[in-house]
Amino acid sequence: MSNSVFSVISRFVEEYRSSTPNKLKVIDAYLLYILLTGVFQFLYCVLVGTFPFNSFLSGFIACVGSFILAVCLRIQINPQNKRDFLTVSPERAFADFLFAHTVLHLVVVNFVG
Amino acid sequence: QAPLFHLLVLSMVLETQALTPTHHLTTTDVARLQAVLSQPFTDLKSAYYSVVGLSKLGILVADADETCQFIKSNLDPSSVESLFYAAEASQALSGCEIPVSNDTRDLLLATVSEDSTASQIHQSVSALSSLGLPLASQEVVSALKARISKEDNVLTIILALQTASRLSQQAELGDILEEIEDLAARLDDLSGVYLQFEEGLETTALFVSAAYALSDHVDMEPPLKEDQVIQLVNSIFSKKSWDSLSEAFSVASAAESLSNNRFHVPVIVSAQGPAAISHSQPFLRLQVTDVLCQPLSSASVLVESASTSSSKSAILSQAPFTLRDEVFELNFMASQPASGYYQFSVAIAGDSRFVANHVELKVKVSTRVAINNMDLSVVDKDQSTGPKTTRVEYPTKAKAPFMADSHQNFAMAFQLVDETTGVELTPHQTFVRLHNQKTGQEVVFVAEPDSKNLYKFELDTTERKTEFDSISGTYALYLMMGDATLENPILWNVADVVLKFLDEEAPSTIQAKTLYTPKPEIQHLFREPEKKPPTVVSNAFTALVLSPFLLLLILWVKLGANISNFTLSPSTFLFHIGHAAMLGLMYVYWTHLNMFQTMKYLAIIGSLTFLAGNRMLAQKAVKRYTHKAGPQTKKLSKEPLAPISKNLFFLGATE
Repeated sequence: MSNSVFSVISRFVEEYRSSTPNKLKVIDAYLLYILLTGVFQFLYCVLVGTFPFNSFLSGFIACVGSFILAVCLRIQINPQNKRDFLTVSPERAFADFLFAHTVLHLVVVNFVG
Repeated sequence: QAPLFHLLVLSMVLETQALTPTHHLTTTDVARLQAVLSQPFTDLKSAYYSVVGLSKLGILVADADETCQFIKSNLDPSSVESLFYAAEASQALSGCEIPVSNDTRDLLLATVSEDSTASQIHQSVSALSSLGLPLASQEVVSALKARISKEDNVLTIILALQTASRLSQQAELGDILEEIEDLAARLDDLSGVYLQFEEGLETTALFVSAAYALSDHVDMEPPLKEDQVIQLVNSIFSKKSWDSLSEAFSVASAAESLSNNRFHVPVIVSAQGPAAISHSQPFLRLQVTDVLCQPLSSASVLVESASTSSSKSAILSQAPFTLRDEVFELNFMASQPASGYYQFSVAIAGDSRFVANHVELKVKVSTRVAINNMDLSVVDKDQSTGPKTTRVEYPTKAKAPFMADSHQNFAMAFQLVDETTGVELTPHQTFVRLHNQKTGQEVVFVAEPDSKNLYKFELDTTERKTEFDSISGTYALYLMMGDATLENPILWNVADVVLKFLDEEAPSTIQAKTLYTPKPEIQHLFREPEKKPPTVVSNAFTALVLSPFLLLLILWVKLGANISNFTLSPSTFLFHIGHAAMLGLMYVYWTHLNMFQTMKYLAIIGSLTFLAGNRMLAQKAVKRYTHKAGPQTKKLSKEPLAPISKNLFFLGATE
């Protein structure tokens, strides 16, 4: 049982390394970074306490929001998904990504206090 | 026949519920009124108020000639008002004649018309009447009626009533007489006690004098019910100091008309001193006067019934008062009433005009109390030995102190009787007070009578030890007695009692009951700020949270992310600068700005960045397509490039 899981994972990793274009790997690294930042914030909250709660919330929401937007960008940029996004060019996706981030930043900075 | 009987019963019931005046002028008030009206006058108007007002109170002005001279010298024959004051004042003085010229008479007659105000008509008619000049009553009546229909206010109608009372009795005064009833309907009833116009006291008083003046003149009873008359008395005579001369004059005028008219004379009954009778003071004295505090000697005062407040059995019935020195008195003690409160129903007869001539009085009969058979004894609880009884006579004190410890009870028995009649009494307050002389402690108990009206008090030391705080010692025993109907309240130190409690229960110190000492101060606790974690911890976690950024950079370097595709064009620079500026704005927003300022700056920077970015991305897109599709094929099908074509168009437009 365990070795089948292990073999699945190793195959997955191998395929990821070989077939994913570099651009997507860059975005994946970014996603990992965002994920870790969010996890560390949550860890702090669990270990130390929720004071000040609004700051925690805004930081956490920033991580979550950034993650989601980056995922959207990755989906839209992926050439394998081109058929689903005929009207959206990668540049357009990036522009949307930037605009959404501006709004997210505004809200987060407002809430962080 | 049956409804007639019911009506009779109803009227009798209603009669007994009639109002009696709650406010009236006392002799001091009348003297004050007189003093106000006797002030030296400065002009003709105040002279009028003073002279005529005093004459209403039945007082003649001292120096009539001087006053007459004053009037004559201050008279202005061209003014109707001045003529009015002079004429009325001179009429009140004896032997004062105002010379009248033809012009004066014509002026006065000319004022009687529809176009003059009611006040002017009143003044000219009164002046004409006082000066003895002829006037056409019917013309006056029609002028008044026209005036009333034009101005419907209260003062106008009152002046019309006053004016009508000066006219000839043959004139048609019926319509004006009806105005009395309409005006009475406009009075405000305040909680059933007062009846007055909203314009105030002066207007109400003037209404009363005008209504009775006219009613007397035409000899028709005014349509005012007895209760209404009493309510008017309450309103007019509730104020005992008057703001102005005219107000004092109106009150004097009303008082005179209420004591002298032909129809309603309110009767004021007041007890002389407190309505209390005792053996030393056996007479109940009543003063029966009219509203001007003049005694009604023609009246005959009768006690219809006198009964105790509780049992309602009549002690007296139809007993007359005798008149002595203008005071009506009755020897009530002769009926030998027991002490207590009695309800008297008094009727004043003698004149059919009397109003409020049934009065209810509460009379108190007091007596002196005597204590009989005061027996003090110490009884053993187990009844082994008989009680040792000592008799003490009031007001002496028992010679030897009484001892009582936990095995014994202390008992006291006595009787309270009326000193003269020997009837047993039960006063409201019979207390037994034990006072510890050393500690100042006192404990009070209530002595209660048994069925035979014998008072008993028993003290069980073990049962009552909490009241005494178990403090043994010598206690002085007092008997305290009081009642509203007792003339001699008693505080009698009967004996000394030595009480012994079990010592181990006694408190070491006696704490005085500190009810009124300052309480401990309350310190206000401000809201504690939330506990913050130590700085080390938060710094550590800050570092931890920022550490993935390093990881990101490392990964990106490993993946080979680079900026080799950086196109050196102004829009690229502008875009990056604009983007950096937006991020900088976010930081500044966090530290300094509010949302509105941020939105303002964001709009400016954002639009620049958008335009630059648009241009840059379009260039990138073009580069990508030309690179991908190869230099020879520039297949630009419409749909996939729809957003790009927009950018290319923009591009083309600028180039």
